[in-house]
Amino acid sequence: MQVLRPSVEGPDFAKLVRQTTEVVAQLEGNRFDFNSLPEFFAKNATADVFAKEIVHVHDGKTLTRYGRLVMGGIGSHFQLMGPIPPNASLRISSTAILDEVNRKLKSKGLNDLREYRALGKAEEVEFYNYEIFYTLRDLAFWLILHQAGSFPSSLEVVVRHMAAGNIVQSNMYAPRKPATNRKKPALMVANGLTVQFKTGVMEWMDKPIFGGLAKDTIHVETLLTTRKSDVSHPYLPLAREGKVEIGERNYFYRRFVGVTPKDGLRGPGVKPENAEDRY
Amino acid sequence: MRYEKRSFDLYVRGEIPSGLAGSLVVAASRRHKIRSNFSRWHDSQADLILLDLKPGKPGRVKAQLLSVDPWLRSRNSSPASPYYTSQPNHGLNVKDNILWATNLLFGSPLEVDLTTFKPRRALNAVPVREEAPQRSTTSHFAFDLDRRYAYFHQSLLEQRESVVEAKQLSLVRLDMRSGSERIWQLQPPPGDNRPETHNFHSAFYFEEDGRKFVGLLRTGVIVESLAPHSIAADHEVIPMPASTIWIIELNEDKSTLQAELLGGVEQLGALALSHLDVDASDRQGFILYANYKQADVAEETHGENIYGEKPEDVAEHYSGMIVEPLNLGLMLRYERHNGRTSLKTFKRSYDHRRTSLGHSWLPINIELDRRRTRLFCSFAGFRPRLLPKHIARAYGDLAVDPRAIRYVPPLLMRFNADDLAPDYDAKRTYLSYTEPIAFAVAGDASDEYVCTFSPETGLRMYHSEDLSQVICHAVSPHLMTWQDTHFRPDPAHMVYVHR
Repeated sequence: MQVLRPSVEGPDFAKLVRQTTEVVAQLEGNRFDFNSLPEFFAKNATADVFAKEIVHVHDGKTLTRYGRLVMGGIGSHFQLMGPIPPNASLRISSTAILDEVNRKLKSKGLNDLREYRALGKAEEVEFYNYEIFYTLRDLAFWLILHQAGSFPSSLEVVVRHMAAGNIVQSNMYAPRKPATNRKKPALMVANGLTVQFKTGVMEWMDKPIFGGLAKDTIHVETLLTTRKSDVSHPYLPLAREGKVEIGERNYFYRRFVGVTPKDGLRGPGVKPENAEDRY
Repeated sequence: MRYEKRSFDLYVRGEIPSGLAGSLVVAASRRHKIRSNFSRWHDSQADLILLDLKPGKPGRVKAQLLSVDPWLRSRNSSPASPYYTSQPNHGLNVKDNILWATNLLFGSPLEVDLTTFKPRRALNAVPVREEAPQRSTTSHFAFDLDRRYAYFHQSLLEQRESVVEAKQLSLVRLDMRSGSERIWQLQPPPGDNRPETHNFHSAFYFEEDGRKFVGLLRTGVIVESLAPHSIAADHEVIPMPASTIWIIELNEDKSTLQAELLGGVEQLGALALSHLDVDASDRQGFILYANYKQADVAEETHGENIYGEKPEDVAEHYSGMIVEPLNLGLMLRYERHNGRTSLKTFKRSYDHRRTSLGHSWLPINIELDRRRTRLFCSFAGFRPRLLPKHIARAYGDLAVDPRAIRYVPPLLMRFNADDLAPDYDAKRTYLSYTEPIAFAVAGDASDEYVCTFSPETGLRMYHSEDLSQVICHAVSPHLMTWQDTHFRPDPAHMVYVHR
């Protein structure tokens, strides 16, 4: 999401927090229906994940995801959020595993794909202001306070994850030079987003929700396992498989490559959900 | 007959309640991950999934997958024609440890022993002929009130010049104790005699003054081609007519039964009457709950969409996938007791400003709770970029306005059975968006649960009183994919079998 108020500062801080608390209570009292609070609608649908390069390491007990995310956006500040299990640890770390896997597989990762190369060069950015939300109330508070807003159908996805006992992690990111032209969004790449949690099975990530710019997501995902596996990706075809040594450990790898559609897509020229329209 | 089996455990988070000591059965269909490979959904590989539940914290969920050769061939033989015997990727009819699984439209029910999870036979009550090489069977059977007999329609499908016609309309009674069958010929009701529309997705049973009846939902889809398209291109679509309900009085002494139309149904003008649940327990009539998909379910996705986008430019497109609705669907409550009838409907657009109201876009499952006071319904929603232009064009103003419509998320919602009003409360315990459409009500009246399932989302369990809180979630990557194929579309149905 684009964030219109990236920081809350100065004498208005206490007032804004108090006002936002009251507004969230009003929203909650109205079953989180947006009609009670039209200003909760996000003003702009101008941020998307364009591509993902992920290495998943599953040793039979623990899953660790190392991610390189390529985002595009119009504006100066953005927020990225996603559900994770409540026992997950989340960190932003410098990891060489993505490059190491590519080197061993004699691959350029996302750059192997024509669709990715066509996007142009991405500026490196860092995630900051990591947050964890345990309730919809907390999440709504953040989105309203920072003037990010939300779209009702997208929020329902988050509601369902929280109902299933997942928490929501949130990060901010910003380009050096904000883009203003919709046809030329700022392209940003963030490395080192790492999520680790206990699970006996491989668990893939959900498809991203459409954020207004990129209808599809470009993927290069590599699964590393300590035992030979026939696990497949839910959307992507298998590109290659074999054995690889990473950091003096031997793994079986399966690499999945392709393009997948976002969730919640609408037709070309159709505006995002807003306070005025209904169908 | 040829089949393959595979089993594995799901990873479970939460607690499987003691009231859920049983199994869930799901019918799934599988297709290639390469989206451009044309494969008509009805014909795609079917798999049955059995989920055995062991209560506890976290408990255990063991999955078994059963893939059956649709031609029911012996080893080393190959299919002689595109028309198969049984491709059970849709309906699930269960009595004790026997399952009869069915296709949406084509083929015969497959009988499966749930104890061994092996196929036993196909119910080929009506013999195929050279000129009518494919059967059509009711997907969802009617059961008599003592659960001794199951009733379903079966007929033959014959390719005519521009449409497929049903021939040899028959009503089949299956004795679930002995496995024997009784077959009656069916005479269509006066005024509903277009043989290309004689297909029946669901059936129900009721009694009145000691007389026994079967109701058939005449869905009315029109299939232009019995075989899958040779070229996935735009073609002329013949619009389907409004659905009707046929009522047939059973008579042991007759070989042919005359069907009558249930009054007031055709006049609703709605399309694709599909699924139902019924309360006929007082043996004096019935309360029928049914839904209209408002979708041309005989067609499939290919060609340009309603925005003029080509399939190769729409990454969510699957060539041959089941088609999206033309517009919002409709739910029906029809009560007939002591000669009196009443009819109520529920139809609601998706207002994103008030998501708490729910919607009625593409209703799929419909199931009464154990007390028969509340009704659970799932709705598949709407993905506008998957509605083909050539289908929308055939329906004119009935179809959505592409410029105004957006994505509508799937929904599971609880209704009051008395008046079809959503079971509103302040905490939104009555609805759940982005929920899989396959669900089953399980447990007993005092300890009741709703389970939902899709291969990717996994198995979720809820107290039936509160759809806002998952009590158990189970997943496995083996449910998501099978080598180069994956389970698409999401399974429509699931049943709970108490053990």
